Amino acid sequence: MKRKLVFALMAVLSMMAVIAVSAQQKPVTIVHWYWADNPAYSAQMQKIATDFNATNGKGITVVAQEYPWDGGAYSETLFRAVMGGGGPDTSSFKLTSTPLFAANNLLVNLDDFLAKWKDKDKIEPSLYDTMRKASGTKSVYVMPWNTQVLYVYYRPSLFKKAGVTVPKTYAEFLEACKKLTMDTNGDGKIDVYGFGMRGAKGGQEPWGSFIWARGGNFDDLTTPQAIAGMQDFIDLYKNGYAPPTAPMDGFNEIIANFKSGKTAMTIHHIGSSIGMVDTFGDDVDAFAFPGGVGRWTSMGDTENIILKSSKNKEAAFEWLAYLATGKGQEAWCVTTGNVPVSKDVQQLPIFQNNRFMKVSIEGAPYAGIFPILDTTTEWISTIWPNTVAAALAGKMSAADAMKQLQKGLWGK
Amino acid sequence: MHKKKFNPWPYLLIAPALITIFAVVFFPVLNAVLMSFQSYDLRRPSQIRFTGLANYAAAMHDSLFWQALLKTAIWVVVGVGFQFVFGFMLALLLNRKFWGRGVVRSISLIPWVTPGVLIGLMWRWIFDGNYGVLNDLLMRLGLIHDKIPFLAQQSTAFPSVILTIIWQGIPFFALMLLAGLQGIPEELYDAANVDGANAFQRFFLITVPSLKNTIFVTTLLRIIWVANSVDVIFNMTEGGPAYSTQTLSVYVFNKGNTLNLGYASTMAILLALALALVAVPYLKMLFKAQEESK
Repeated sequence: MKRKLVFALMAVLSMMAVIAVSAQQKPVTIVHWYWADNPAYSAQMQKIATDFNATNGKGITVVAQEYPWDGGAYSETLFRAVMGGGGPDTSSFKLTSTPLFAANNLLVNLDDFLAKWKDKDKIEPSLYDTMRKASGTKSVYVMPWNTQVLYVYYRPSLFKKAGVTVPKTYAEFLEACKKLTMDTNGDGKIDVYGFGMRGAKGGQEPWGSFIWARGGNFDDLTTPQAIAGMQDFIDLYKNGYAPPTAPMDGFNEIIANFKSGKTAMTIHHIGSSIGMVDTFGDDVDAFAFPGGVGRWTSMGDTENIILKSSKNKEAAFEWLAYLATGKGQEAWCVTTGNVPVSKDVQQLPIFQNNRFMKVSIEGAPYAGIFPILDTTTEWISTIWPNTVAAALAGKMSAADAMKQLQKGLWGK
Repeated sequence: MHKKKFNPWPYLLIAPALITIFAVVFFPVLNAVLMSFQSYDLRRPSQIRFTGLANYAAAMHDSLFWQALLKTAIWVVVGVGFQFVFGFMLALLLNRKFWGRGVVRSISLIPWVTPGVLIGLMWRWIFDGNYGVLNDLLMRLGLIHDKIPFLAQQSTAFPSVILTIIWQGIPFFALMLLAGLQGIPEELYDAANVDGANAFQRFFLITVPSLKNTIFVTTLLRIIWVANSVDVIFNMTEGGPAYSTQTLSVYVFNKGNTLNLGYASTMAILLALALALVAVPYLKMLFKAQEESK
């Protein structure tokens, strides 16, 4: 009788174990949206998803779907898809979109997931604080993934030709823009411009450095200091130190201009470094945007989110964790050169010995983000490029332009 | 008296079409009208409420709205005008017999069959101030000495996008007018020749009157399509620089993109009303002309 009882108990336990395992391994599919700056990044994300699918051991299949960044319109595409009842389970994300998604109650609160997550401490606590601040609550809604600090790319050979050294102050930087604007073949025409200015969408990030360098900030764009920064930006264009196409130059144009030798300096982050080295080898380097009265550079942030509409939130978090501190973090940051958020990955030699990573780290202490308001996306996509284009064309003074930008961002 | 039996079949047969049209046309239009009376901004969902005519009043005080309306008028008049003129010339050419006419007819359709997005991207690169083929061509011809940033300066950006839309629309006019030309009886021209009419008289006294209905319908269609067109401008300039290429439809698109759907709907309805102001008298003239010709 006793033996029968033991057998029965074992049979029940075995069945429970089988049920538990099968329940755990019930196949689930996670649709993940992301953007990629070039085909290599695109291929890497597909590989990361494939590797995760093969190794997670929990029956999770991630389908990674790529959408264009389109100067920030990605966030609006995602928003429309989710509001329309579609969209993915998880997505790459920018902090600036947090108010929009939070106001419409679309994001999953990650606090409970993070509390149970063994790798939580591999990410700097300050990053979680930034995520909380962006949501305007005490909760974390976005999962850190990687950061990019903007800095100045330059061509050492052109610096040598112009007799310019790496600028250490803001004034020296402005002077370098002037000296690097050259007629290199003696035909009487400028063929190298000192500064590859970005006047189209996304240009507000490098522009912000000029505002701060003069002692301004984003809280009040109408201060004399902020206006002086804007005037410097305008003067670079007006004096011919930036290509005439600058008002409409976006990411593709500034990179193409730099790579073709049309510009001697341009501002972007480490994400472009691999392509730069492919083009120039050792004839490309970088320096942190120099300080003047103040100092600021843009911290590009990329996070991941789980949408509330997802039916598989546990599995979705597994995937985000893989991207944040697992193999996905290393693979993505090695390919893109982005600054990892995982402290373990940061310590890898490939990051420690990278000259562009060093400049990124040098810029990190004064790197920041634009105010995250519900007006920010429209300000970035429409108001900033059109107002600055008018100012560059001389149709609007620096003071009027800043007044308009202030109104667009802060509403007054 | 025998009462006629109700036959439901005709109603049942047209029901699917009616339901579909209601779902994909009338319902969204109705929804847009309703949204235009609300502060329907998805960035501030808690503030969505009925605001009466506030959006319409805001549009009346919005300098960008008036600027975009003016741009739309120029965009349509110049764009459709030149499409018509060049389309007519092409139709007259293609109506003549010459070697390889079939091939030329097919090739001339390329701009029309190319998607607007592709056209926008293609012409964006043609006009590019650094690497564009147009600058290269003009410099080789010695017409310019410095490259022109066509899409980056306000004075040249709008003419550039208008040139693109003209290029796109010429084949439509050519195709429609060619079909009309082929329907004109040859006897009319023979009789005119016998009467001693010159080419100018034949064109204005036979060709144009015979094509009147085709001209009316095609220009009306193009006016509506061009006024509503977003793809070409958006892919070339997104309405910039400094809003210099922002027509009303692009402004609506930009506002919609930034999720202020209430204000975007208001402007869309104002655009529809403006188009109705053009279309209704136009159709009246068309119907009147048809009645007179009977």
